[in-house]
Amino acid sequence: MGSHTGALAVEIRGAAKRYGGSGGFVAVDHVDLAVRAGRVHGLLGPNGAGKTTTLKMLLGLVRPTEGTFSILGEPTGPSVRARVGFLPEQPYFPPLLTAEEVLRLHGRLAGIDSAQIASRGRDLLARVGLEGRGTTRLSKYSRGMLQRVGIAQALIAEPEVVVLDEPASGLDPVGQRDIRNLMLELRDGGVTVLLSSHQLSEVEAVCDEVTILNQGRVSAKGAIDDLLNVAGRTSIRARGASTTLPAEIQALMEDVAVSGSVWVFSVPDTAVRAVVDILDDNGWTIESVVPKRQSLEEYFSHMLETTEGEVA
Amino acid sequence: MGRVLAIAVSVVSDAIRRRILWVVVLFALVLVAVVPMLPSYGQGVIEAVYREVALALVYVAAIVIALVLAASRIPSEVERRTVYTVLVRNVRRWEYVVGTWLGITLTLAVASVVFGAIVFATGWLVYGEPMWTLGQGVLSIWMEAAVVAAFCVAVSTVASPVIVAVSALAFLFLTHVRTDLLGGPSNPLWAFYPSLDVFNIIAPVAHGSGVTAAYLGVMTFTFAGWAGALLVLAAIAFARRDV
Repeated sequence: MGSHTGALAVEIRGAAKRYGGSGGFVAVDHVDLAVRAGRVHGLLGPNGAGKTTTLKMLLGLVRPTEGTFSILGEPTGPSVRARVGFLPEQPYFPPLLTAEEVLRLHGRLAGIDSAQIASRGRDLLARVGLEGRGTTRLSKYSRGMLQRVGIAQALIAEPEVVVLDEPASGLDPVGQRDIRNLMLELRDGGVTVLLSSHQLSEVEAVCDEVTILNQGRVSAKGAIDDLLNVAGRTSIRARGASTTLPAEIQALMEDVAVSGSVWVFSVPDTAVRAVVDILDDNGWTIESVVPKRQSLEEYFSHMLETTEGEVA
Repeated sequence: MGRVLAIAVSVVSDAIRRRILWVVVLFALVLVAVVPMLPSYGQGVIEAVYREVALALVYVAAIVIALVLAASRIPSEVERRTVYTVLVRNVRRWEYVVGTWLGITLTLAVASVVFGAIVFATGWLVYGEPMWTLGQGVLSIWMEAAVVAAFCVAVSTVASPVIVAVSALAFLFLTHVRTDLLGGPSNPLWAFYPSLDVFNIIAPVAHGSGVTAAYLGVMTFTFAGWAGALLVLAAIAFARRDV
């Protein structure tokens, strides 16, 4: 398992999908995507942005109208897909089969021998929290349990690249946490993860880089920090006995939030040292000083508002 | 071939747990069991009538099973997205299509063996003679049902289960009316008309001593030709399709 960090594990160039001929609906409009090996890359966007269609073109489920697709340096095709694991959105399996049978099928399709399939299957079911449930028919599984089976089948062939389409869909908070941890474990093991999601907190928690799609086009891409850090401002979190901050810094503050005795606000980078000194002199405790970062939710809604404005 | 077999095994595992399959089998077998109780058999033809009626029931049951399993398999796998995790492996579209058909055909074989065993055992118990030619009859029925399954798989790569079922019934009808439409082999179109009549050996099995080994060879060749041609069409259609 694992690939050379720095090389591209997934590369999409000029991907386009048009339904209904030249005047038809454009689902994906010349999307470029590059995922470096050993990274967790988020593909982000609202419903209908073209995320799933892009992934389906990459994996050969949908025929692209235009574009080139490569995985681990090879044009995508059946042979390179042997090194890829895929979890579709809301995975569903034949309900009369058991989890063990599903893993056996996918293990055999991946060319793994029977003995290995059995041992890997047991390990994977334990890893996704389904230990002892392998012989239960899937018709008796909850949606969250099916999601876990889907994750197990995606990992059965020890893939070098894992593509996850809305992996937290249908999972409770504990399950969502498990998925996040799993993605980080995979990354630590050298596996490249391409994560499609509209759950921004999930993306923010695990992704090194993101590509944001909107209306079938790439709206933004880059490292999470580069996209979210607000240039020129620093966020300060301070705790104090007073109900108001010293008057001399109030003119510098923006984005003020107060909870009990804790204040969080941002100031210009150039004023950080002075502000910290003033707070210190007035008996405040500085809890953190970090570059101001907007949440992905804030970034995303701002971006969508801008796009809608442009369209209007 | 390993991937085709893996898909086929998965299809069989799923299909043999479907209640509808065993309801059809049970229903057909109950009817077979009551055939000997029917009145008005002429002296000396009672065994022949039993064979004819039993094979007709097996035929209907096998075709129903083929339709039930094959008409909805691919559409429901695409609809429910179960096909995604299979096709993103190193699996060619044709392997998926052939594996699906093979699984359905193996399931039909299991059902046919059950049918054959019960029909044979009932005949032997009731009439006191082993009716070995029933094996030929069941084999021909299985082959025809497998061809129908191939037709259903081919159409189902581009159509919904209802359209598949209706078109399969039309296919069955049209492939059995060659004699009615063309008269006989003297008609110049006779050789070109698509027909499944070769599988209809109920008369020689029920009323005669069965068919020759050579005829079984022709039947097998026809089966392979039909199934192969339909699966090629299915693979081409499915390969061009977005899922």
